[in-house]
Amino acid sequence: MNTFQQTRRDFLSRASGGFGAIALAGMCSDLQGSQDNPLASREAHHPAKADRVIFLYSTGGTSHIDTFNHRPQLIADHGKSITASRWLNQSGEYNRFLIKPRFSFQQYGQSGTWVSELFPHLGSVIDDVCVLNAMHCESDGHDKATLAAHTGSAQFARPSVGSWVSYGLGTVNQNLPSFMVLAPAAPYAGAQTWGSDFLPACHQGTHVLPGAEPLPNIRPRNRDTEMQQMELALLGRLNQSHFAQRSADLALDARIRSFETAFGMQREAPEAFDLSQESEETLRLYGLERGATSGFGWQCLVARRLAERGVRFLELIDVGSSGNWDSHGDMGDHIRLAAAIDKPIAGLLTDLKQRGMLDRTLVVWTTEFGRTPFHQQADHAGREHHNLCFSSWIAGGGVKGGMVYGQSDEHGILATEDKVHTHDLHATLLHLLGIDHERLTFRHAGRDFRLTDVHGNVVHKIIA
Amino acid sequence: MGNFEKVTRQFIIACVTASIVFIAQMCRAENDEDFFESRVRPVLVKHCQDCHGAKKQEGGLRLDSRDAWMRGGDRGETISIGQADKSLLIQAVRHEVADLMMPPNAKKLDNAEIADLEAWVNRGAHDPRRETVSQTSNRMGLDQARTFWSFQPVQQIVPPNDSEDRWSWTSIDAFLHAKWKEKETTGSRVSPVSDADRRTLIRRASFDLTGLPPSPEEINTFLSDESEGAFGRLIDRLLESPAYGERWGRHWLDVARYADTAGDGADYPVREAGKYRNWVINAFNRDQPFDEFIREQIAGDILAQSGPVEKYADRVTATGFLAIGKRYGYKAAPDYQYLDFADAIDSIGRSVLGLSVGCARCHDHKYDPISAADYYAWYGILESTRWAFPGGEEQKRPAHFPALVPAEEVAKRDKIKADELERLDQQIAVLKRERSEIDPNRLAGGLDLGLESQPLGKPPGPPWLSAGPNAVLAEAQSPFAHVHPAGKQGVRIGSGQPNEGVRYVFENGLRATPEKQMHFTVDFRAVEGATEKGAFRFYLGRGVIESLAVECSVTSTEFAIRNGDKWQVIRQITPGTWYSLRLTLDPSAKSLTGSVGTLQDQTAFQDIQTGPNWDGVVDCFICDGIGHVPGAACARDLDNLGLQDHAFAKLDSGPVNPIVRPPDIDQRMAKLDADIKAMTESRQLVSNSVPYPVAYGVTEGATVNSRIQVRGEPQRLSDVIPRRNLEVLGGDMVPEHAGSGRLELANWLTRPTNPLTARVFVNRVWQWHFGQGLVASPSDFGSRGELPTHPELLDWLANEFMASGWSVKSLHRWIMNSRAYQLASVDQAENIALDPSNRLHWRFSRRGLDAESIRDAMLAVSGRLDRSIPETHPFPSVDTWGYTIHSPFHAVYDSNHRSVYLMVQRNRRHPYLALFDAADPNQSIASRQPTTTPTQALYLMNSPLVHDLSEAFARRVASIDGDDAAKLRWAFEAMHGQIPEDAVVDDAIGFVSAYRKKLAGSQATDESDIAAWSALARVLMTSNAFLYVD
Repeated sequence: MNTFQQTRRDFLSRASGGFGAIALAGMCSDLQGSQDNPLASREAHHPAKADRVIFLYSTGGTSHIDTFNHRPQLIADHGKSITASRWLNQSGEYNRFLIKPRFSFQQYGQSGTWVSELFPHLGSVIDDVCVLNAMHCESDGHDKATLAAHTGSAQFARPSVGSWVSYGLGTVNQNLPSFMVLAPAAPYAGAQTWGSDFLPACHQGTHVLPGAEPLPNIRPRNRDTEMQQMELALLGRLNQSHFAQRSADLALDARIRSFETAFGMQREAPEAFDLSQESEETLRLYGLERGATSGFGWQCLVARRLAERGVRFLELIDVGSSGNWDSHGDMGDHIRLAAAIDKPIAGLLTDLKQRGMLDRTLVVWTTEFGRTPFHQQADHAGREHHNLCFSSWIAGGGVKGGMVYGQSDEHGILATEDKVHTHDLHATLLHLLGIDHERLTFRHAGRDFRLTDVHGNVVHKIIA
Repeated sequence: MGNFEKVTRQFIIACVTASIVFIAQMCRAENDEDFFESRVRPVLVKHCQDCHGAKKQEGGLRLDSRDAWMRGGDRGETISIGQADKSLLIQAVRHEVADLMMPPNAKKLDNAEIADLEAWVNRGAHDPRRETVSQTSNRMGLDQARTFWSFQPVQQIVPPNDSEDRWSWTSIDAFLHAKWKEKETTGSRVSPVSDADRRTLIRRASFDLTGLPPSPEEINTFLSDESEGAFGRLIDRLLESPAYGERWGRHWLDVARYADTAGDGADYPVREAGKYRNWVINAFNRDQPFDEFIREQIAGDILAQSGPVEKYADRVTATGFLAIGKRYGYKAAPDYQYLDFADAIDSIGRSVLGLSVGCARCHDHKYDPISAADYYAWYGILESTRWAFPGGEEQKRPAHFPALVPAEEVAKRDKIKADELERLDQQIAVLKRERSEIDPNRLAGGLDLGLESQPLGKPPGPPWLSAGPNAVLAEAQSPFAHVHPAGKQGVRIGSGQPNEGVRYVFENGLRATPEKQMHFTVDFRAVEGATEKGAFRFYLGRGVIESLAVECSVTSTEFAIRNGDKWQVIRQITPGTWYSLRLTLDPSAKSLTGSVGTLQDQTAFQDIQTGPNWDGVVDCFICDGIGHVPGAACARDLDNLGLQDHAFAKLDSGPVNPIVRPPDIDQRMAKLDADIKAMTESRQLVSNSVPYPVAYGVTEGATVNSRIQVRGEPQRLSDVIPRRNLEVLGGDMVPEHAGSGRLELANWLTRPTNPLTARVFVNRVWQWHFGQGLVASPSDFGSRGELPTHPELLDWLANEFMASGWSVKSLHRWIMNSRAYQLASVDQAENIALDPSNRLHWRFSRRGLDAESIRDAMLAVSGRLDRSIPETHPFPSVDTWGYTIHSPFHAVYDSNHRSVYLMVQRNRRHPYLALFDAADPNQSIASRQPTTTPTQALYLMNSPLVHDLSEAFARRVASIDGDDAAKLRWAFEAMHGQIPEDAVVDDAIGFVSAYRKKLAGSQATDESDIAAWSALARVLMTSNAFLYVD
């Protein structure tokens, strides 16, 4: 009797004959082009500085003036009033009181980059990081700003940045999805955040839920592998005889191959999620207990393992749509939230660097917007949404480390110099991957769509 | 910037400008042409044109030709010729305007460059650059549109009549044949493959029309019918099946972006969405004329007003098409309604007309003859419409859902409900009054509202409400006994805080009744030795300060009463002394009289005005710390409250005796309690009942013409655009007094002279039958869309379709009875080389089953499919809805009904539907993009559903008579519609017995038998012969 392995060899030998051009992967019907594997690794527009992306997303809106944008004048002017142009999603003139950060700042590294006491571990690796202190975006609503940060559109359903990268570059390991999202809970706007929308669905993010079964249906229901192999072998033979009479239909072939890949994934994905072979030292780096299957440290370490295995775009959602950085009531919440991600992120950067991966891995940290440096009450403990100026950072993959780019006014209210819009961040990210954001288009409904719509400028000054 | 700095800067600018004017005059010798070329063009190219040129038009402005800057940008005129200071361009480069500092990012031009630009403007802004053709828009003008294929009237076409054509069976075939022949002249000869066998045909037709596989019995019936027209009769049978509407309705639901949730950040469930879905399914099943189908979806609520009453509900439900789109708002007020409208306009344009009208939101369409004015002409129609609001973050309850019965019926049923509620309320009130009259609490301590039955030392409990350090105490007992029999305790209010105190809500409040007065009494004292200076208050009126009748205010030394808007001090008081207050209210005169005092020392007052806005109801008493003197109020004791519609006994009338407790009191109380409970429950039922069904749809609103929103930004309003049709479709105006214009829009969309609607729909039907349309871009018939491969066939179909009374079932019959539909799906090397994607229909294109068909087929073959129409989804009760973007609605509901009835959620999609490429409900979907991914294979290998259904199938197989071979033949036929050759059957027999043996050794058991057949079932239902249709 044939085992599935034997069948697999049959496939491989056949693949090298009749249909060798097709990679072993899922196939999308790509209405715009040939029927090639859309996930096959593809040539970039220009030489890339980075091969993959790890996109860290803190949900809720992390305060910029309490983390990376050190504003001494805000501290000095604490309690003074100013006129703000926007408050609670409304434009207008508002008399508000400046409120100093309750966290102290210090300079770190050779670069002397200011980082608040919320992120001491990140401070220790800040020379690898380029802080963007003049980020801005259009919306100060969570759902809309989250969509803008991911899809370039705050309004309409559009493909997410990970889908665009998958569409533009394909992926190198066909046993794993090209775009994976490690999220304990959905962020605002739900799975639209990693949807492929009008791009072929093979480019959508595959949701990995931290826990015992991170990918749905990854575990064979029949514990006996041999029995599953018997089934797959019969399936292979039936499909082969079916295919023999229809051999020009690549879709049938793709389906046959998808089972092979799935069989590979059953082995490879759990292996990627299995941290038992990681050393104590590595676990310590991420602040992770042995045996843990959740937490941001788990997400970061699994991200490194998936990056090693060739996943093109990894997104790590920090928290989700509730209990997050949205500190309206008490900025003290930021302490707990920062503590949960500071060490894991520093560990990730250190680990990637030690393994020689940081050079080719772009690590981006962002959030939907910052928080107001001012409030209606002089002694209010919280801060409101603030989209006119916020902070993000970017590291590795062709970015200048130890740099601070962008300036705000003295109180952190308005981005003033070297402003970076969400569209610009997207354009820059694509550029570092070798993609021209104006040329990465998809024809949909009579129009060529882009991630950056009709906007976006590459921030050349931060590129090494 | 300080004022000084500003002044200084302006001064410097003034000086520089002055000197420039001087220099400019000096250089006048340099001619304009040279000046522009040497000084201006380089600056524009270097600093401006990246963002204001061919590639980008930031702010709607281009500076790369004279024509372009003369047109200006979003802010209007860019250059005021001869007046540099007044020119926006100059102000921008000078950084004079805070939000217009150019170039952006603080890279200011150097002074010489600014001076050159100023000089250029002042000397006339000579610019030799004329707009080239490539710089102008590629947009198709209305003139060009008249010659573009899809905007031309549908042509009357006679099908080809080729005497040499021996292949064709129908007119459709004749068109296709003619195209092959036409291609032959260019040397590319495709020829049709052979006809499909009959097993293939019945499987193809069954999945195509019903989304379900044929059963072995149905296959055999068809195979044994060898008479003429057997396939035609099969088509008729399938078209009569309710499964037809479930399959074809789903096609339309893709286009209509159907979902069961609203799609705002909190993704509110929409309980009534399913009514629209069912309406669509029904419309297909009863072959509703397609033009009427469209008209009702756009204006069903208006049509309903004049139509037969039996159609009323259906027609209003049909407008769900408009309402069902993705919503953006957080509340019913139109905060993000411009985005809801963007979705609706885009969807109407794409689904009905095959035009991307939505692209004209921010500017005129870049390619098609649709202007921003066209967009806002439709926008006005939508803005004149009232939209059902599904609920959202800020307003968590649905609103404005149109009734499914006519307005007069709504009024009638509302009235019946209100009357019924009033009747029940009255009955409950009677019962409660009866109860309160025999209440032992009242009997024990009189009418002081249960204070006597409260535990000592604690704040008074229900029915009292207490806030702050209050306690029921023996020392708070009033000495007066003229109203209530002497009791043992009162309440002490220990707090001086403004918002602390006690509240009592009278179950039987008093309501103004002609000729009747209201009587209130309370005993009170400031505690002995009180020194606080502030006042406490007695409030009497309706609800918690909702409607004020009387307000008294007491400090430790004086008693005051509000008279109109003034406080009137009535008398002095002494701490530690008890006073009794009596009030008599005359609601008709809005005045009151009363007295306050001790037995020996009473002060009467009269002609006091009640609260000016008092509504005549008294049902609430409050004592808190908000009085006529600010500051902390003193601690005080209260006792002996009373409210009734007849006078209380006088203060000096002597003590009243305790009432004797009647013997049967407990039984009577229990009975009354039970009656009250039952009556209250039935009131709740009536109150919750909706007296008429509603739909998620639209109704007519206040008519308005909308203004153009510059660049799609709702704050930047430009010209008012009257409501009208798209210009390219005639530009007809909405007549005055016509309402929103939706009825007119519905008629414009479906009039036979509209060149698009019939063409677009017959093309969709063609696409749903064959996998691709004659026009390969089914929702884009504009200039960026694909041209039709067979334009004559498309027009012939469109005409026949309209002539048939827009009968969709007729369209199916023409298409499916064609020979082209009945071709095999086999390969043919030459044809594949010439026409790999089968645009010429030389064979039938094999297709994968879609998400719904895979699941439904698995359920069907395993005998688990529930063919009934399910009730509404088990959404949580609307009373519990509190969804926000922080905690949005999310649910996945299991069911064995057909997949079209699964709950389709927008923001977090149904995991199965998303995995197998069902339509994304966030926008109108013209054609799904099937994918084949390893995660789908994992689902097929390991999901609980596939395993459960395989086992159910195994039990069916086990019950089939005969040996393994017979069972297997049945299994193959049920799953694949085919019985394979013996070698394959033998292979499968080998598999089943090997599997059995492996599980149970040589002793086969029932269990191992089922397990083996389940394994086989899994293989069959995940194999390509199952997942694809030839």
